[in-house]
Amino acid sequence: MHIQELILRLQRFWADRGCLIGQPYDLEKGAGTMNPLTFFGVLGEKPWNVAYVEPSRRPADGRYGENPFRVYKHLQFQVILKPSPAAVQDLYIESLEALGIDFSKHDLRFEEDNWESPTLGAWGVGWQVVLDGMEISQFTYFQQAGGLDLKPVSAELTYGIERICMFLGGYDNIFDLVHGEVTTDDGVFPVTYGQMRQREEFELSAYSFEHADIDLHRVLFDAFEKEGWRLLKDHNHFLSAYEQALKMSHTFNVLDARGAVSTTERPGVIKRVRDLACGCAKAFLEFETADVADRADKKTKAEGGAK
Amino acid sequence: MSTETFLLELHCEEIPARFLTPLTSEFSTAFAAWAKAQGLAAPELEIFFSPRKLAWRGALATSQPDQTETQVGPPQRMCVDEEGQPTIQGQKFAEKWGLDFSAVRFDQPAGKKEPCAVVVLTKRGRPTIELLAEALPGLIASLHVPKAMRWGKSDFEFVRPIRNILCLFGDQVVPITVDGVTATNSTWGHRLFHRQHPEPVIIATPESYESALENAGVVVSVDVRRSRIAEQLATLAAEAGGHVVADGELLDTLAEIVEFPRIVRGDFPPAFLELPKEVLVTSLREHQKSFCIENPKGELLPCFLTAANRPDDPAGFVKSGNEWVLKARLYDARFFFAEDRKHPLSERLEKLQALTFQRELGSYYDKTGRMVAITKALATRLSTDDEHINHALEAARMAKCDLRTLMVGEFPELQGVMGGEYLKREGAHQDVWMAVKEHYRPAGADDALPGTPLGCLVSLCDKLDTVAGCFAVGLVPSGSKDPLALRRAGQGIVRILWEQGWPLPPADLISIALGIVGAKATKPAGETTEALLAFFKDRVAYQLELAGYAGSVRRSALAAGWEDLADLKARCEALSAFAEDPRFASLAQSAKRIGNILKDEIANGDFDRGLLAQAEEQVLAERLLKLEFTPDQASLLAALADLAEPLEAFFTAVMVKCEDSALRAARLNLLHRLRQAFLRVADFSLWQ
Repeated sequence: MHIQELILRLQRFWADRGCLIGQPYDLEKGAGTMNPLTFFGVLGEKPWNVAYVEPSRRPADGRYGENPFRVYKHLQFQVILKPSPAAVQDLYIESLEALGIDFSKHDLRFEEDNWESPTLGAWGVGWQVVLDGMEISQFTYFQQAGGLDLKPVSAELTYGIERICMFLGGYDNIFDLVHGEVTTDDGVFPVTYGQMRQREEFELSAYSFEHADIDLHRVLFDAFEKEGWRLLKDHNHFLSAYEQALKMSHTFNVLDARGAVSTTERPGVIKRVRDLACGCAKAFLEFETADVADRADKKTKAEGGAK
Repeated sequence: MSTETFLLELHCEEIPARFLTPLTSEFSTAFAAWAKAQGLAAPELEIFFSPRKLAWRGALATSQPDQTETQVGPPQRMCVDEEGQPTIQGQKFAEKWGLDFSAVRFDQPAGKKEPCAVVVLTKRGRPTIELLAEALPGLIASLHVPKAMRWGKSDFEFVRPIRNILCLFGDQVVPITVDGVTATNSTWGHRLFHRQHPEPVIIATPESYESALENAGVVVSVDVRRSRIAEQLATLAAEAGGHVVADGELLDTLAEIVEFPRIVRGDFPPAFLELPKEVLVTSLREHQKSFCIENPKGELLPCFLTAANRPDDPAGFVKSGNEWVLKARLYDARFFFAEDRKHPLSERLEKLQALTFQRELGSYYDKTGRMVAITKALATRLSTDDEHINHALEAARMAKCDLRTLMVGEFPELQGVMGGEYLKREGAHQDVWMAVKEHYRPAGADDALPGTPLGCLVSLCDKLDTVAGCFAVGLVPSGSKDPLALRRAGQGIVRILWEQGWPLPPADLISIALGIVGAKATKPAGETTEALLAFFKDRVAYQLELAGYAGSVRRSALAAGWEDLADLKARCEALSAFAEDPRFASLAQSAKRIGNILKDEIANGDFDRGLLAQAEEQVLAERLLKLEFTPDQASLLAALADLAEPLEAFFTAVMVKCEDSALRAARLNLLHRLRQAFLRVADFSLWQ
């Protein structure tokens, strides 16, 4: 199956089950969880179902486009269901069936794999989903995000798009995957993942491991942090402040890939990102609660006026 | 009393394997306690579990036993009149308990001065099903879950969401509800089975539980699953021309993570066999939960065995899928193996500076320096062979270098092994690479020591530095807290000394190691030495226990000194053998008696043999001198045994604390000397 076909089917499936189809957030990030659709979406009490693709960057995983299984940037398909429905595992299995997986012939296991994101102050319990021995998804019941206990609890499903495509097609090299087909007056041309991404993998790996300016990134990290706290403290702007936290996170990942963060330094640096992210979560929730109270207040007044 | 079978099954989303046993046994214990408190004979519940099920079954009485209760009323004379007719008061007493006066008996209960009206009431036991319905929700909710979670909108916490409850007492459903889930007489079989059969599985009676679920694709007994897996592993390995590389833990894991096991064999390209065996075994186990197969020569075959959670592999997808993933994993492992060997291992030594061992104690580079220094100090005491000493130093220097290799980064459990394998391929001396490879052993009480003396030495020096260093900076294990596993390291040190028989007293080891830690210490040396001595004494005591000596042997031998472990071992052996000797009880008795006599007395052991008046004490003195010239422990005990009779005779005939003060002093000193001789072997006052 082509990559784009897989994405389209997942989007169709989840849209049909009452999910909003969201879009990737236009900043570098390590995982779909960092998209505000998830990070803020799981906070508070409002029901929230959303699904979207998120290109996710892991600088330390870069292999210059030479490793057939590992890449600097991969695609995650992320689903958030809040509150987590009772039949959430069945829904997930149906989504795999929508991709053409026939469970009369395959093995499926949910193996314990608890998820934690120290940079987001988030953790949950759940599984890695294993199909015929291959991890194809991460399945998490969010317990905390931004340092806050979550109620209701959201279920997060994260599909590894390239992995599933490779697995279903029996590909031995990620760059041989077919993204889709281009039809022109001259005919139909399949376009591979390699054609679209291999050079990018090479350059971004080289950047992460060799060319990134360490001093500049240290300066940037500090600057993003300062900017974030200024936005949050002076203006109570949690969305723009959160963007700074995302930038800090990516900057840290680059420094880490460059080998510029020592093991002792590491937890402290991660904590600086987490503090800002948690500050944003808290401000968001206060804003939401105030907003709900405000609307309730207006409603009461309006009803009172009618009497 | 009639009984019925109780069955409870909590059907959940996949429960982590590590919680299955603790949760099911905890519930059994709580249930037994509850049943007992209800007057129901506590049943031994049968336990079942699978990834999605926790279940218990056992027989219970259908109701509590009836209980009788005696109520005492007014005196007989107030309840019946002179003609023997009931008085109003008498009738009221009967009415009070809902009885006719004819049920009233007269009796004189304890504490009453005269016969009184008495009624015996029968309290009917309640039906068990009602009691179950009341108690079960609480018993379930109070299960202790180490990593509990919430789900949906509820505040209820459990290990994973509960999706169905099956609860029967006989063929009756026990009406309980937990977090909105109400019990029924049905459950769900294998997840994939129900993709084809959407109806739940009805469990008509508790006895049909296993068979009904087996038909729906779930083997609910973990023991049955384990034995089926073991059987299939053996068969498939034999078909492949070998046997599985045994791994009991992996077998348990597989039995816990599948509901219907099926072992599938996969193959991998033989080219990967160039990887060290340990890498393949670890990679297969950690990444794919797969077993390796080795031929009779101990060489791996290019295939593996793994468990599928379904009865068959109709299209071969399970096989090809696992092969695909494994190839990707091995590709990675081969990449690490090739990258690591682009530079000699020794180049990592400098890079250890960037790897923190412990904040105060510095990096692994610093640790390596200390290990080399300790190795030098000990190797020169154990050997005079320069080549040997140099090999020991080289092994200590290289021991930690593999912590900076990619392979150990990926598989931390291969630390040591990779260093050894890389050195072997670089052409290092066998003594050196073997020592590096095994220097983390023993990893626990069940693990073997390094196979070579040099490996044992490097292991000892590594652990000694860790233990002494941590104590020196105040990181001392306390109670159940031992995050750095210092006790395990200490135990390893003692076991090596014990089994190698090296003449290295722990006190010397401590002073050498602390001398090398030097200025990095944050605690006063005296305090640290004392704490370490106490620590090692505990470890030695435990070593005696592991060696299987009886409590009396351990206590009395240990109290007579533990500085020289070889000597301690000899004494324990001799004592254990001697404990069977009929003279032994008498000797131990006499030794205790000596202890009592000498209590509060000042004796220095000097006595004038000429003063000793009686024949019995002369004999004793003669034997004592002989004893004091006995060099080894075994003959010392034989000589002690020969003392049993003369001692008994001595105590029968001789009055130690006599009037003549000079004679009395001589006798006390004789006993003192005897006690000293005993204490060379054991402190018999601790013999029970």
